Amino acid sequence: MSKQLVISVMSKDRPGIIADITTVIFNLGGDLADLNQSVLGGYFSMILIAEFDDSVTVEDVFAGFSHIQSGTKIEAAIMEMDVTLEIEKKNLPIETYVVTAKAVNRKGLVKVMGDFFYSRNINVLDLTTTRDSDAYTMIFQIDLSKIDSVKRFRRDLQAMGEQEQLNLVLQHNDIYRATHEISGSMGTVQQ
Amino acid sequence: MLRSDQIMATVEMVHKENLDVRTVTMGINLLDCRVGSAEETCNAVEEKIKKSAGTFVETCDEIAEKYGIPVVNKRISVTPAAMVGAGFSRKEFVELALSLDKAAKDVGVDILGGFTAHVEKGMTNTDQEFIEAIPEALASTERLCASINVGSSQKGINMDAVAQLGKTVKELAEQTADSGGFGAAKFVVFCNQPGDNPFMAGAIHGVEEAEVVLNVGVSGPGVIARSLEKTIREKGKSNLTLDDIAEEIKQITFRVTRCGELIGRQVSKELGVEFGVVDLSLAPTPEVGDSVGEILQILGVDDIGAPGSTAIVAMLNDAVKKGGIFASKTVGGLSGAFIPVMEDAVLADAVGKGALTIEKLEAMTCVCSVGLDMVPIPGDVTADTIAAIIADEMALGMINNKTTAARLIPVPGKKAGEQVSFGGLFGESPIMEVRNMGKSARFIAWGGRIPAPIHSFKN
Repeated sequence: MSKQLVISVMSKDRPGIIADITTVIFNLGGDLADLNQSVLGGYFSMILIAEFDDSVTVEDVFAGFSHIQSGTKIEAAIMEMDVTLEIEKKNLPIETYVVTAKAVNRKGLVKVMGDFFYSRNINVLDLTTTRDSDAYTMIFQIDLSKIDSVKRFRRDLQAMGEQEQLNLVLQHNDIYRATHEISGSMGTVQQ
Repeated sequence: MLRSDQIMATVEMVHKENLDVRTVTMGINLLDCRVGSAEETCNAVEEKIKKSAGTFVETCDEIAEKYGIPVVNKRISVTPAAMVGAGFSRKEFVELALSLDKAAKDVGVDILGGFTAHVEKGMTNTDQEFIEAIPEALASTERLCASINVGSSQKGINMDAVAQLGKTVKELAEQTADSGGFGAAKFVVFCNQPGDNPFMAGAIHGVEEAEVVLNVGVSGPGVIARSLEKTIREKGKSNLTLDDIAEEIKQITFRVTRCGELIGRQVSKELGVEFGVVDLSLAPTPEVGDSVGEILQILGVDDIGAPGSTAIVAMLNDAVKKGGIFASKTVGGLSGAFIPVMEDAVLADAVGKGALTIEKLEAMTCVCSVGLDMVPIPGDVTADTIAAIIADEMALGMINNKTTAARLIPVPGKKAGEQVSFGGLFGESPIMEVRNMGKSARFIAWGGRIPAPIHSFKN
């Protein structure tokens, strides 16, 4: 029997964090299923799913992390899943679109966008934002497979953009893949 | 997810650099429409076009909306009409032209190409009737474009046809004198005419093609011009050399081509028809900022026609091909940079300044697509001289194994330097001077054929 643990780790970025964390998992006999990591503002953040023998406890993993010798503190959150997690499929929904939003920086910009999508029951698949002096840029990857009309959605989006002084562009994700990825033929770009 | 900078670069291409798909052209086989009388054939042609392209424009618009990329032109090309109307008289070919024009209007396309004959080796009786029908056919229709292939690298040049077409061009312009000879703007003479070119006026649905096929023409030169300006601004002119510029053009063309192919394939999937080719041609429009000439200026000649112009066009044409061929599964058509004088504001401006002459334009067509395109000439240029200009351009294509074409417009009643305007996509320009007029009559009078070049014998 085995169990799945979802482990989230955050630390000030430095060389060797991945090596330290995966060493702990390896020493406990863990098998990595999926992992996502990024660095933002000098802070390292990682979320991973790993399978362990039933005998390994959440406390064992915490103990492993606490023994890491480093000047930077590693913050971790660990959850044991009572159902087998579906590892994220690499294929995006066919109707995946990208909304880019640019504005003069102010509080609440991401919230405006988040509320707009939520009110239409639209799932945000990915989000990145950047601030460059006064300019704030948000890039949302969204799933529009459940909306009735892209045309109407585009119109609503533009109206909201004008109201909120956001420069918004909606394009199908395939356009970005087609223009920037070499692999994948045109006939199968959505897969 | 893709990198943010990649996404923003594409957003910029679409919204600031006006990335679009220049044309989606549906090629339709009409050979099976030759039934019974001419009238029955014309009815069958109208029905077939309506059946094949009934939802074509609507589907293009839907896909353009879905992907957020405009499809600027939706057009139709058909099997060369001289074959569709085998055995027709001149009058019956005019009837066929009217039917094609009506069919184009009924399905909502602005231009239909394929009022065409291929006579590079010889003319049949039908071809003869067909060519005689061209002036009236184009003068009495609105959306129809005609073309004649008079030469090929395989068969040589049919000089009897060339001589006759010199007269046809004159007659065509004279029959449409009220509009400045506009009829001649819808007629083009080819050497090595491809059967899958989506661009007008020379688009046809070749007999080698499938029943119905979609071909796509990629975005215009504006995207490349804006992108080059940006690169030069950001990296600094002193830090770039021509090979860097060529590389930049390749990369932009890659993205432009991928975009065109994506849209074209989605339209063809939606319509359930075969996807043909992506034509990589950079087709300018008279709009400011959508000019091949402007790219030449960015790359260092102050006026088009100045020494260096041919070298730049050669580099541009080659870089476009390299980027596009890697990007696409199936490249075809003309695939090069067009230099149509009236349709390119910067070229037209160079004509007005006296910087660009027909001779230099001809030299430039040796290294690009497609030939002496949309060239307004004085109305009093003789048919023999027009035929001789066509022959020169055909010879370039025949010897160099490439497509060349001549779309000459002898503007009735006007002289070199005077302005002619057709409006819209057909543009405007001062009329180009034709030097040495009337000095080629003895050459044209020979008739017969210029034999195929030695390098055509490869079997």
